[in-house]
Amino acid sequence: MSDKRPFFVGYLPTPRELRLLLISVAVAAITAFVVAAWAVGTTQDNPGDGRLRFDLGRQTIVGVLETSPYPMVHVTHGTDVIATGETLMLAGAGKFGVEPHASRVDSPVVEVTGVLLNRGDIRMLQVPNPRRNLKAIDGEGPSVNSKNLGRWRLAGEICDGKCLAGAMRPGRGIAHKACAELCIEGGVPPVFVTTQPVADHEFMLIANGDGEPLNSELLEKVGVYISLEGELIQRGSLAVFLANHESIEVLP
Amino acid sequence: MSVKYVPVQWGRFKVIYDVIAITMIMGFLWIFVNVTPGILNHDPAINPQIRNMRAFGSCAFFLLTAILMIGPLARLDDRFLPLLYNRRHLGVLTGFVALSHASFVVRWYFVFSPTDRYEALLGTNTAYDQILGFPFEAFGIFALLCLLVLATTSHDFWLKFLTPRIWKDLHYLIYPAYAAVIAHIGLGALQSTENPTFGVIVFLCASLVIILHLAAARKEHRTADAGVSSEEYASWRKLFRADTVKEGFARVARLSNGERIAVFRHGNRLSAIANACAHQNGPLGEGRIADCIVTCPWHGFQYDVTTGQSPAPFTEKIATYNLRLRDGYVEVDESPNPYGTVVTPLAIPTPSMS
Repeated sequence: MSDKRPFFVGYLPTPRELRLLLISVAVAAITAFVVAAWAVGTTQDNPGDGRLRFDLGRQTIVGVLETSPYPMVHVTHGTDVIATGETLMLAGAGKFGVEPHASRVDSPVVEVTGVLLNRGDIRMLQVPNPRRNLKAIDGEGPSVNSKNLGRWRLAGEICDGKCLAGAMRPGRGIAHKACAELCIEGGVPPVFVTTQPVADHEFMLIANGDGEPLNSELLEKVGVYISLEGELIQRGSLAVFLANHESIEVLP
Repeated sequence: MSVKYVPVQWGRFKVIYDVIAITMIMGFLWIFVNVTPGILNHDPAINPQIRNMRAFGSCAFFLLTAILMIGPLARLDDRFLPLLYNRRHLGVLTGFVALSHASFVVRWYFVFSPTDRYEALLGTNTAYDQILGFPFEAFGIFALLCLLVLATTSHDFWLKFLTPRIWKDLHYLIYPAYAAVIAHIGLGALQSTENPTFGVIVFLCASLVIILHLAAARKEHRTADAGVSSEEYASWRKLFRADTVKEGFARVARLSNGERIAVFRHGNRLSAIANACAHQNGPLGEGRIADCIVTCPWHGFQYDVTTGQSPAPFTEKIATYNLRLRDGYVEVDESPNPYGTVVTPLAIPTPSMS
């Protein structure tokens, strides 16, 4: 060490020989942070086109209510943007489902008012305050078409249907896992998003093999890329995957 | 260096340091939150809450990386020592940025639900038995708690209250905190992103921190003389030739118990003190000496090398060591004197005396 080297003491004036270096370090540090913000900020993945369609206004539809495995409505009288014959999943506000109110509705035909969420094929109606916006009406609904599409092993990801459809952007993946589990536990219908369309469906409502809501084994795998076996059935226009949790394989 | 506690001992250098640190943080957040969405042009855009969460989270990571680079940089080149002088303020700012990140996470992902937000944070994902889907939030919580403990105890009051050794050991939490942040990012954000840029940046930053620490440790190992035990008396250790210590400087030696001492030359006399400053274990052997007073290169604490005591009215004390000269070599009694013990300096022969 040379005795001519500048010696810095914080409470004394900074040695002249160090000033240029320190100014350079300060400029470099600020520049590095600006560049880092730009590099990380401009490489965020596109969250997709899902969104809550407040721009379309509140939609009021009439249809046949089904509550198992999760609430859905088979539309018999649609609107300009919700076609008659379509099957829509139902969710409440926030991380709430429309249960238990939906189970207490004493008529198969209901009038539902809510805001549409859609992302590609995934469509859901957010029904705030179900007691007021999910009402039984008189009448008998037509029977709902049901078709068994066979037994499948599918690869993909379990998501909560609401965040995936655009309530959150992005609304899938491991970073979103806890939020998705919370949504599903709150009654929001879960969906299985496959890597390839299956029987013309890009996604399907997913439930236990016995037709009940997701059990803890399936919930643990929310957000994780997996493959699993199950029965695929079509209820109205919606595909429902009744998955066997014992067949889960985590994929790399 | 103060005889009484004040919240912050502001000085011109600290003010400039803090202005630069806040400019770094504000610049980062402003670019991330306000500029990059326009460049991305996603329709619809990422939720503002998620964008803020990512901005504050990545900013905390870069701040932590910068903090961890300062130490080894200063060890490798003492011209970087000024960066270390006010590092604590950078740490406190990092704690606030990390807390903001956590606040955005909790107030977005864990609300609008029948479950209490903190209960939801801790209890929703409990898949601790799997790697993919592991509750990476746990690593983030651990890191945040560490940062908050460090920020809270950063003041000199806590240094005195806890004692420098415990305080220093406590502040090594910065390393597990950084490891936890890497795990938090690696098992969380990086598992959910297709663009590899952030992953590459995290890898480079972590690698840089590791490389700098290894280089600094290598240099430190090389520069501290190990010495050899004297055969005559077990407690004496032979160090180096007396004439190899430069006037106004010290040579650092490592004792058999791993402790380091600094042997200073002032005039034609040598004095030995503990190498660790009583303040934050700064390397006194890299300080400068004038009129028997050495100034610590980290925060400017001062000690009389013949007594191990800070000049009045300051009260800090460190250990002194006894020296002797044998065949031109300096030997040290490895048993330290009680803190603040006066030791007569060891006279060394000058060319005219020999």
